[in-house]
Amino acid sequence: MTLLLDILLSGLVLGGMYALIALGLTLQYGIARIMNLSYGEFLIAAAFGALFLYTGMAVSPVLGLLLIVPAAFALNWLLYRVVLTPLVKRAKNQGMLEVDSILGTFGILFVIQGVMLVVFGGSLQSYSYLSVPVYILGTTLAANRILALLFALVIGGVLYLLLTRTRYGTALRAIAVNPVAAQLSGIDIASASALAFAAGGAIVGAGGVLVSMFLTFSAASGVVFTMKALIVVIMGGVGNMMGALVAGLLLGIAETAVARLVDPGLTIAVTYALFLAALLWRPTGLFGRPAR
Amino acid sequence: MSKPVTATLMAIVVAALAAVPLFASGYHLALGISLLYFTILATAWALFSGPTHYISLATAAFFGIGAYTTAVLPDLLPIPLILLIAAVVGVLIALVVGLSTLRLSGIYFVIFSFGLTELIRQLVTWYEVNINRSVGRYIFAETTTEGIYWRLLALAVAVIGVSWLIRHSRLGLAVRVIGQDETVARHVGIDTTRAKLALFAISAAFMTVTGAIMAPRWTYIDPAIAFNPMISFEVVIMALFGGASALFGPLLGAVPLVLLFELLIGSFPNYFSILLGLVFVLIVYALPQGVFGLLEARFPAVRRAASVTGMSAMAEKILGVVWPRAAKREAAGTAPVLQVTTMRKAFGGLVAVDNLSFELRRGEILGLIGPNGSGKTTALNLISGAIAPDSGDIRLEGRPIANLPAHRIAQRGVARTFQLVRVLGASTCLENVIAGMAFHSGASWGADADKRARELLTRVGLDGKADMPAGQFTYIDQKRLELARALALDPDVLLLDEWLAGLNPSELQVGIALVKMLRDEGMTIIIVEHMMDAIRSLCDRCVVMSAGAKIAEGPPATVLADKEVIRAYLGDADD
Repeated sequence: MTLLLDILLSGLVLGGMYALIALGLTLQYGIARIMNLSYGEFLIAAAFGALFLYTGMAVSPVLGLLLIVPAAFALNWLLYRVVLTPLVKRAKNQGMLEVDSILGTFGILFVIQGVMLVVFGGSLQSYSYLSVPVYILGTTLAANRILALLFALVIGGVLYLLLTRTRYGTALRAIAVNPVAAQLSGIDIASASALAFAAGGAIVGAGGVLVSMFLTFSAASGVVFTMKALIVVIMGGVGNMMGALVAGLLLGIAETAVARLVDPGLTIAVTYALFLAALLWRPTGLFGRPAR
Repeated sequence: MSKPVTATLMAIVVAALAAVPLFASGYHLALGISLLYFTILATAWALFSGPTHYISLATAAFFGIGAYTTAVLPDLLPIPLILLIAAVVGVLIALVVGLSTLRLSGIYFVIFSFGLTELIRQLVTWYEVNINRSVGRYIFAETTTEGIYWRLLALAVAVIGVSWLIRHSRLGLAVRVIGQDETVARHVGIDTTRAKLALFAISAAFMTVTGAIMAPRWTYIDPAIAFNPMISFEVVIMALFGGASALFGPLLGAVPLVLLFELLIGSFPNYFSILLGLVFVLIVYALPQGVFGLLEARFPAVRRAASVTGMSAMAEKILGVVWPRAAKREAAGTAPVLQVTTMRKAFGGLVAVDNLSFELRRGEILGLIGPNGSGKTTALNLISGAIAPDSGDIRLEGRPIANLPAHRIAQRGVARTFQLVRVLGASTCLENVIAGMAFHSGASWGADADKRARELLTRVGLDGKADMPAGQFTYIDQKRLELARALALDPDVLLLDEWLAGLNPSELQVGIALVKMLRDEGMTIIIVEHMMDAIRSLCDRCVVMSAGAKIAEGPPATVLADKEVIRAYLGDADD
């Protein structure tokens, strides 16, 4: 029973992280239409940033968020404007942009990963921040995990309100549904897409800081996060925030269960099994609308 | 160059390459091995990803599987047997991956392949640690560096040969069509999933065999060595750099880049990944079509040579095993040709086609008319299999086709054009027509298909334009071409979806004359049309739809005078 609760709680924390990270990718893929394979690299870069701030300059990760999130926003905005915009302009249709953005960001992935390898080396990293146990319902959970989950909830909640309650958010959602029609209704797609892409980058930056508080990471672990984010987005249905939340939590719990009960080395196998099951059951995602 | 000369030249090149180990050794031989294995991997990658545009990031997964096959099998087994087993394993895994992702949209496949290397590495590690109780394995296979070189050379020749065969066979045409427009592919009778799957499996087999040959190069392997994601990455760069759509493109990309990477990793070992990434980004931006694409753009002669599809009866005969022809169509039955009974389709709450029933008699032209949004195109989509009906029955020659996939319906003799004209813009006019000819039950290929396709082009008024890229055609010529492609299917029923729309008055006369010609030849046709003049002059009978349901049926003059029909088009009078 304790074990079950333990798995559920840890799984929820991890799943919350996945949902948050997937949310950022939804902004980039669903709105800016960029399939960004270097997404996870930004997460790891932010994690290294938090590590550096904490161990090198004694800045707590929570304060680190204030520094890293704007930096991630700015960097991703630049990335979209400078590197990706030429691809967007060149693409004749969605399919071509998908192929080009996959290839372009695949290259960027190796650049960022290479830089991190040079700067931080290839070994596993972690730091200890707020790792005091908190007792919940007879089981324990580290305080840093609870903090991370709270922050994820706040960030996700704020984003949800921004997207659904503001004029600008409505414009972004309109682009997600139909970019051409959005343009015809007077929405400036280029700047809105850049903003959405940058916002996605800011979220993955926040995710990186939060994840670094309780997980070990290395310069090479970005790919795994990209993959899980992609799978959560697809499972939840592209552009669907509730879907991403449910799929993220599901993945977090399933992964934690297998790691505890079977082998911690099989997390990707779990991810894949879930992905396949979701695809076979509902090809457009758990909450996706059926294609016409 | 004539064929025998080319063949002799190639034989000389291969013989010279085979002689290399007699002179070179050590570093140079190792370099030769690198050149060969990347050439094979890049060519195999382009074999599938080039025409389909499905970016596979899983090369390292198959390569690693091959390496592990050699490591796991007993050292005593003869090498050919090991390679054969590796190929079989590769094909099996490719089939599992392909079956679960290739029938869906391309992005699922990319994501799946993106993590496949990591997944398999994890599974192998888990197996080795928990079952085998050791992470790595030693390989004691008795072989020499020269042996590996020769085996790779043979495999390189094989992969280029197989690529050539595929390009010149129906399978190659099928994936070229799929890569350009999957909807068109299905409606000319191509089983798209099977074509993609076949190519993916062939490509994977070459990758695994490469891994199996290369394994003895490392005397010790562990999952991190065998499943190195960098390989997937390098292979994609090489194929793109050379040009993934040209036969020798990947070779042209692999040779300079292997040398460049060799130089980079020697000079800047710590910055290799960064430099590699930059090279890659540069290629994606500056050379999206690869070196071959650049050559084609500069020198039209290269383009001409590349675009002559060169169908080969021999290639088709050899590959017929992988990609058999559709079953023979049974002889025409009794009238009516097409029977639609209480067909229904709803999109959410919107009932697009509501219990529609009608019959189509042999040799008649039936007009399917009605105001915008009345469900005409949906009705055609249901008949051609683009979408499946919720309920109801559709029979062609008395046999049900209601829930068959589009390619089966096309093979059985229903051809169509599209409301928004769909030609394969990058293919020549001739290839567009041959695409319609090659996949139905009476399919033809080679010189015969070429001859018949040219005849069809003449019939629709496109003589002399056979070798032009279809993308350069004017609107009316694209419409003519689309019609020729539909006719190439030798259909029992032809569906024309607003085929006359958007033509100017003189083009319209040409269009009407063409349809009349078809009617005089006895073709059975359903036309969806808004041009009432065309309806009056062409149709024997009309079915009028409004809000998904049939509201009138009969000769054009009668139904167009029908009160109900007038109301559907023009709305109620004020009252």
